[in-house]
Amino acid sequence: MDGPMRVLVTGGSGLVGRAIEQVVKEGERREGEEWIFLSSKDANLMSAEETRSVFQKHRPTHVIHLAAMVGGLYKNMRQNLDFWRNNVFVNDNVLQTAHEFGVVKVVSCLSTCIFPDKTAYPIDETMIHNGPPHESNFGYAYAKRMIDVHNRSCFEKYGRRYTAVIPTNVFGPHDNFNIEDGHVLPGLIHKTYMAKKEGKALQVWGSGRPLRQFIYSLDLARLFLWVLRDYDEVEPIILSVGEEDELSIKDAANAVVEGMGFKGDVIYDTSKADGQFKKTASNAKLRKYLPDFKFTPFKAAMKETCDWFVANYDIARK
Amino acid sequence: MATRRCVLKCGSKANFFHLPKEEHLKTKWLQFTIPQKYSPSLVLCSRHFEDDCFLNAIKLGFASRLILKEGSVPSVFASASSSVSQPMDGPMRVLVTGGSGLVGRAIERVVKEGERREGEEWIFLSSKDANLVSAEETRSVFQKHRPTHVIHLAAMVGGLYRNMRQNLDFWRDNVHINDNVLYMSQEFGVVKVVSCLSTCVFPDKTTYPIDETMMHNGAPHESNYGYAYAKRMIDVHNRACFQQYGLRYTAVIPTNIFGPHDNYNIEDCHVMPGLVHKTYLAKKEGKPLEVWGSGRALRQFIYSVDLARLFVWVLREYDEVEPIIASVGEEDELTIKDAVDAVVEGFGFKGEVIYDTSKSDGQIKKTASNAKLRKYLPDFKFTPFKAAVKETCDWLTANYDIIRK
Repeated sequence: MDGPMRVLVTGGSGLVGRAIEQVVKEGERREGEEWIFLSSKDANLMSAEETRSVFQKHRPTHVIHLAAMVGGLYKNMRQNLDFWRNNVFVNDNVLQTAHEFGVVKVVSCLSTCIFPDKTAYPIDETMIHNGPPHESNFGYAYAKRMIDVHNRSCFEKYGRRYTAVIPTNVFGPHDNFNIEDGHVLPGLIHKTYMAKKEGKALQVWGSGRPLRQFIYSLDLARLFLWVLRDYDEVEPIILSVGEEDELSIKDAANAVVEGMGFKGDVIYDTSKADGQFKKTASNAKLRKYLPDFKFTPFKAAMKETCDWFVANYDIARK
Repeated sequence: MATRRCVLKCGSKANFFHLPKEEHLKTKWLQFTIPQKYSPSLVLCSRHFEDDCFLNAIKLGFASRLILKEGSVPSVFASASSSVSQPMDGPMRVLVTGGSGLVGRAIERVVKEGERREGEEWIFLSSKDANLVSAEETRSVFQKHRPTHVIHLAAMVGGLYRNMRQNLDFWRDNVHINDNVLYMSQEFGVVKVVSCLSTCVFPDKTTYPIDETMMHNGAPHESNYGYAYAKRMIDVHNRACFQQYGLRYTAVIPTNIFGPHDNYNIEDCHVMPGLVHKTYLAKKEGKPLEVWGSGRALRQFIYSVDLARLFVWVLREYDEVEPIIASVGEEDELTIKDAVDAVVEGFGFKGEVIYDTSKSDGQIKKTASNAKLRKYLPDFKFTPFKAAVKETCDWLTANYDIIRK
């Protein structure tokens, strides 16, 4: 491709989209580049027609594809068919339309939660399809996996190097902080905010002992840009801190408490399930490419996120 | 005491279950019923539990008192607002997609020759009637025929070499066809859809014999993964559809099918029709029959007419959402050489048979278990192989001009 990129970001108003918008504004954007951030208001990507219209309007050279139907545990369990169908439509529309419009590269977003339920650890990029995903969100999981199937077969037929990234637990501003529906860190942040406000104890579900790898949305955004510009493989790449930086839920809770300046009691409700104890993902491939990439220190990232939440409580998704 | 109602507002009239006493289990039930209001006396009806949660078997449409196994957890959300498969009144109107293919023609024949019941209507579609890759055309054809049942055989298929170059098209077109047919079926209140999978979509690295539970346990073979994943996703759709709407859409998994009306293109087709066509030509041209490989590989073959009878049984009687393998048993596995001998006999071919051992055998054995089929139909009789092959050879000879090649 000659000339600067015109990058279309689907799902641009979400957790990762907003982070990419921020890093692009704060220095990642290169001379002449155009970055367009779409949200569901701009187009319903489940419709082939609307997807085509938005591509016609913007004529991107590159796409970062983040848009998806997502939800918490209970919503997934109730609506596996909708999660399967709607996401397959969104993904097929974006990937097929991108090809038709000569988009040079598409970087889609997978997740470690789509990996096989029964597996060895650490998980790596070669293992995505090695067995069925967890029962609770199999519709969502299969739809995401099929992005990889589409990418590989599109490369075989057309030589297009469309690829994908696989983040572990993402956190940051602009997340979904709904306590029922959201993921562990935004849930903790919101609960701590409420506990502080109401002068109550913070209740954490489980023992606090399970281990997780967390990645700050801004770090993920910087890595997305590197993948877009410099990562040439069709096989996806896990984006995460290493196993050595795994944290317990207790560590995470302590960072939230510190970030929010919470002084009350923290109670671990050990009658609630812990979930999986450890689900380590290997970031060996990332480290092979970027041995010196520095992740934002967890406490600092957590503080930024807490500050954002407090300052933006009214508009935060919850 | 007030009339009991399922807390998910189902309108069921029988078979209610109270919350279990054990805390951990009770929590799981309550998680399931969110966001309904909590009450200690709430009940859930039997519709929300999978079949294997009950100690006694369910019969569709026959209200009997069901006993829930201890430790059962609800997982099916079907509620009053969604279309739930009800036992149907009146005769079926069956739409068969892919009706002009190998299996479709066999179903047409068995329906004509006695399987059809009083008042039933059977409609056999081909690609001329509708391009099922298009949602619009699929909707039109459902609107036109308003089926109560569907046998879904239509697919984009092809032999080994075509698959390797075009995984993208096999993936996309088949996903579109399958979603269109399954979704329109749901929209139009179709009670049951029986789709067609294949043992070739199973994991490449696996233990044998393969059975119905193993389909998603690993990646399929590299050469046809586009087709394989699209077929596997039929099962994903069926399970999700059952969970969300209670519809019992299911699928059949045949092994190697053969019979009249097959695709006999030697480049493109499967092993049996290839042998049949090659032997016909060898006889006609007075040349030897060349068979690729050593002939030692083992396969299970199923005659299309037998498969057709089984499809009709699945449509009428098989209630599971999990698919079922339709095949002869392991004891009836044959070598490629056995198949060659049967074809040679079927044509009365007197010339030489040469095994080109420089060509690959493919997998030596890929046994599928038919234990589930035998559990349901212990006495089902498959057509003896030689007789089935003879019929196929005779048909090819009589219809050579019109066969797909």
